[in-house]
Amino acid sequence: MTAPGKPPIVAPGHTPGSVTDQISSIVLTRMPRWWWAAFGASFALVMMLLYALTKLVFEGTGIWGLNIPVGWGFAIINFVWWIGIGHAGTLISAILLLLRQEWRTSINRFAEAMTLFAVACAGLFPLIHVGRPWLAYWLLPYPNTMDIWPQFRSPLVWDVFAVTTYATVSLLFWYVGLVPDLATLRDRARQRLAKITYGFLSMGWRGSATHWHNYETAYLLLAGLATPLVVSVHTVVSFDFAVGQLPGWHATIFPPYFVAGAIFAGFAMVITLAVPLRTLFDLKDFITIRHLQNMGKVMLATGLIVAYGYVIEIFMAWYSGNWFEEFMILNRIQGPYRMQWYALLLCNVLAPQLLWIKRVRSTPALLFVVAMFVNVGMWLERFVIVVTSLHRDFLPSSWGMYAGTRWDWAIFVGSIGLFLALLFLFIRFLPMISIFEMRTIVPKTQAREPDEVSP
Amino acid sequence: MSEPTASTHERSFPPPADLDGLQSKAWIAAGIGIAASLAGWFLDPTQFYRSYLVSWIFWLSVAAGCLAILMLHHLSRGAWGLMIRRVLEAAARTLPFLAILFIPIVLGLEETYVWARPEAAADELIQHKAVYLNRTAFVFRTVVYLGVWSFFAYGLSRLSLRQDRTGDATLFRRMQVISAPGLGIYCLLTTFAAVDWLMSLDPHWYSSLFGVYFLGGQGIAALAFVILVALYLAQREPMAGAFNAGHFHDYGKLLLAFVMLWTYFAISQLLIIWSADLPEEITWYLERAHGGWKWVSILLVLFHFLLPFLLLLSSDLKRNAKALGKVALLLLAMRWFDVFWLAAPSFEHGHLSFHWLDLATLVGLGGIWLALFLGQLKTRSLVPVNDPYLVEALDNE
Repeated sequence: MTAPGKPPIVAPGHTPGSVTDQISSIVLTRMPRWWWAAFGASFALVMMLLYALTKLVFEGTGIWGLNIPVGWGFAIINFVWWIGIGHAGTLISAILLLLRQEWRTSINRFAEAMTLFAVACAGLFPLIHVGRPWLAYWLLPYPNTMDIWPQFRSPLVWDVFAVTTYATVSLLFWYVGLVPDLATLRDRARQRLAKITYGFLSMGWRGSATHWHNYETAYLLLAGLATPLVVSVHTVVSFDFAVGQLPGWHATIFPPYFVAGAIFAGFAMVITLAVPLRTLFDLKDFITIRHLQNMGKVMLATGLIVAYGYVIEIFMAWYSGNWFEEFMILNRIQGPYRMQWYALLLCNVLAPQLLWIKRVRSTPALLFVVAMFVNVGMWLERFVIVVTSLHRDFLPSSWGMYAGTRWDWAIFVGSIGLFLALLFLFIRFLPMISIFEMRTIVPKTQAREPDEVSP
Repeated sequence: MSEPTASTHERSFPPPADLDGLQSKAWIAAGIGIAASLAGWFLDPTQFYRSYLVSWIFWLSVAAGCLAILMLHHLSRGAWGLMIRRVLEAAARTLPFLAILFIPIVLGLEETYVWARPEAAADELIQHKAVYLNRTAFVFRTVVYLGVWSFFAYGLSRLSLRQDRTGDATLFRRMQVISAPGLGIYCLLTTFAAVDWLMSLDPHWYSSLFGVYFLGGQGIAALAFVILVALYLAQREPMAGAFNAGHFHDYGKLLLAFVMLWTYFAISQLLIIWSADLPEEITWYLERAHGGWKWVSILLVLFHFLLPFLLLLSSDLKRNAKALGKVALLLLAMRWFDVFWLAAPSFEHGHLSFHWLDLATLVGLGGIWLALFLGQLKTRSLVPVNDPYLVEALDNE
């Protein structure tokens, strides 16, 4: 149902055929020159990441800025940042599917891909943070001659399960959704290698009624499975902090506040990617202003929940009457990391308030700017939580300072490169918008067109 | 866009005459309940004030929760809320009356709140909070909460009524524009209200999730109440033909979502506090695990979460209005137990006990509140007849 005066979810004048042509041609024709430049640049960053990781494995985590008291630094900040970004994909795909929100259709595919790549980047950090990544399998419970088991009461172990489950279900969900489109590409490809590859990946899809029936069942089941995962993963991540006793980490508001923050960050990243892509590949007919508006609203709502979290944290620190809690907040406001805290408020609380204005929500460039603020703000939020809580805890004699070294930065920036490189490859080889789902909504949206444009 | 559209629907939905009879019964219940409560007040004023507080918070949760669901409905533009919008509005319009009914709580402040007693002056921690927890600030804040909520309730109701009369298409958008900041303000104020009314009963204890937990509970209380009213209306003309299984299916889904949300908050708070095991926090749970309170805690796990959760998973049950009504009734009862469980262990640090005044005040306040609610419900068409989504809402499968 389109409300009066709302822009449509597909631009007028499209037929199922034109949708298939336009989306599949991106994959089946040569890439524009900018793609090579952008992919090259991100690939260079991946090389830097590999170099930094090699250095790390040879020399150990001493090349990082970690110290005592700040034993959790960039690795955890980056892990939480990436895993947060990885939340929008599944939310858009699963929850919006169950809520019957048709506008999700053109953004779900690349949001899911984004989720997978973000989770891949996130997974990297705990592995290298253990210091001896070749022993990372110790995190998993398995019968062994040492008779050692992980501490099951620790949320760090729950994290292993939560993240691997999330990655598996997200991958399956994405792949199942791709199958009909892979078959379309198989049928349309001209090169032999492309035909064989897409044919292999489409698993013999012929589009029969039985296929569609099984497909629909599988997709809905996976959506149902994925929905609780959207909440559980970041809840467990928040437990990593909250079950401890450290002021600044131990707060009961953390689970819902982290989940909202994750969706906030995830939608910001979807907007960051969608705005340039729709221009560069001329997809404005499919990723319309309506999509951007809706994503802007989700970002505003989740941003307000995050701001609520900040308010309650400050209020409770005072209300608790607990000396250490109060000090923790005062240290954030006045301490050596106050600039990060103010920048965080600017990015996460002030900037998103622009989204109340409809002009901002429907102007892609402005929306992009707000989303960039949020991307930065959410990284800063994790920095503030991790570092300012640790660096001055109960004993003044064990206070300290923390700053990332160039290796910290190289790995962080390198992980952004990895994310982008994977994304560019995805755009090159797979349809970034679900072709067949778009075909199904085209008749509905086009039929309603006369009412909407009538004067 | 601003051109007024004529009434798109020729059907009308006047309130059924049965509501008058129901309202009389509510007044009678109110009379009996108040008489018993007054007797109780003479016999045991302390117990009266404590029971009254629990009953008041329970009924307030229903009314305020309805305001929140109303704003959620305007915001989401969903057709699901149209059929119950008038119920939500009527419940929300009772908020100013609930403000008047708050007066006995102010009169008995020392009986219920430790921080209001003279001996609190000797407690260093309570002294720290005295800027916030004192009689004037407490009453002032409650007036602000109820004032702001009433402002939104009456503002939205007025626009909704104007939509009935004029069919002005822009009103739809205006109600949405009001609801967006409205819901945000509501959540923030309710958080502080939960701190004031319930958390401060144990002035040493704190939990930053508490407000959100209270909000989740309000959602359940309001939805359960609305489902029961919808069930009552669906058995009578003119709504008998208007409500269908699809509507109840939607309310059931929403109720399930709120049950899961409430449980999620409850578990998060418990797990974090249990795991850290700090003396200033865990005592609150220890009180609720001993002296018989353990059984109320278990009751909540079983009947506020497990049983309704399992039942509400079934889509057949959600589409069956009567069966859904039974689950709603169970949840509404559990809402009382939850409020009781939040408040009462902090009064007497000891054994679980029920008092007949718990029931008397619940019936007395409930009778007054229901009568006021029905009085409000009677004044308008039961469905907003000029809403642009009405046709879609009536066809909802």
